Amino acid sequence: MNIVKAKSDKTTTKEAVEEIKSIFGNFEPRMVLFFASSNYESEKISAEMKATFPSSDIIGCSTAGEITSGEMLKNSVVAMAFNSDVLNNVKIEIVEGISDGVDISDAMNSFESFYGKKMTEMDYKKYLGMVLIDGLTCAEESLMENIGNKTNVFFVGGSAGDDLKFEATHVCANGKSYSDAAVLALMDVKSGFDIIKTQSFKVLDKVLVATKVNESSREILEFNNEPAAVAYAKALDVPVDELSSHFMSNPLGLMIDDEPYVRSPQAVEGSSVKFYCSILEGMELSLLESANIIEETANALQQKVEEFGEISGLVNFNCILRTLNLESDGKSKEYAEIFNDIPTTGFSTYGEQYLGHINQTATMIIFK
Amino acid sequence: MAGKIKKMIEHIISKKSGNDSTLASSLNAKLCLQGVIPKKYDASSPDDPVIIGKLQTIAAEWGVSLAGV
Repeated sequence: MNIVKAKSDKTTTKEAVEEIKSIFGNFEPRMVLFFASSNYESEKISAEMKATFPSSDIIGCSTAGEITSGEMLKNSVVAMAFNSDVLNNVKIEIVEGISDGVDISDAMNSFESFYGKKMTEMDYKKYLGMVLIDGLTCAEESLMENIGNKTNVFFVGGSAGDDLKFEATHVCANGKSYSDAAVLALMDVKSGFDIIKTQSFKVLDKVLVATKVNESSREILEFNNEPAAVAYAKALDVPVDELSSHFMSNPLGLMIDDEPYVRSPQAVEGSSVKFYCSILEGMELSLLESANIIEETANALQQKVEEFGEISGLVNFNCILRTLNLESDGKSKEYAEIFNDIPTTGFSTYGEQYLGHINQTATMIIFK
Repeated sequence: MAGKIKKMIEHIISKKSGNDSTLASSLNAKLCLQGVIPKKYDASSPDDPVIIGKLQTIAAEWGVSLAGV
């Protein structure tokens, strides 16, 4: 096996990392990825992971729930290790101070210097980026736009969580822990990989145009030249005071190639609606209706299994809103079991990254 | 005048993707996420200076020359 996964629910950081190490056994990781409940102190677990796997590159973050093959967990740590038959190389960079403006130029220069290639010339079939970002910065859109402007390489990932406390989220790299930061890992993948973006919504025929927005606060003041909450409620044919109870099942989608890039509403504020990701003025958004997460995720995965033959490892960045939806429907176990036969690690995120920043989606990386 | 936006979009995507269909699709998505929806523009679309300005900025960011477009 070239990819192995592990989990631990030991309460002390030291014991949890020791358990992960014992599960990995003699495996020699080129890179270790870990996702840990915010109950573990971020600085401690990052340092402990590096001390335990000193010759590996290590990245991770805090979560709003952890995922491993066949299980959706709480208050635990999950990890995945990749050996050099999967990764020819990996380079990790930290982008700090992102809430004051994202500047990725140093990170991109470092990647270019490390790989001896310009970011614009890197082959997207050979190189793969992973991005973990502090989930409370509202900087995801800017980060992803900056990355997308600089390279054709796909960067996939998620926003760190803190078990729904919304106080502090952390990203980790090589023994250190960071807030107000993003960790970027650029991998030279030897074995082949692919990306899944899946969301479970039916697209309705009602469209809301964002006619007045406050982009930086992710707030929509008007849809269709009406107060946003009024227009949204009208589209759903519900009273305004019931609007927020429909948020989970009826988010909006920016339609690209007949596929929604989901924008999830967070709260009604006066007559405005605040979202979990930004919406640009003039954007036309389709009203969505929730569908079957289990069925659509299983289908998306099955399609890749058929293309790949066998999947060596899967990293799942699953939106916390999907996790909550599954929990309220009593379907968490059924969801986790989709990944029973595939070495899987992942976490419940505060946002998903693929080409841009999206919500109520699972972005996944699969390795051959 | 009309049709310039469609030409600019096609030029940018073609140059940046090297006519690779996966890249062309991802670049189309990136444009949409930045507020330019390629499918909205055809040969008769008015030359909206706001969208043209946005495309000029994106082209510069992506390292694509718009000379002659």
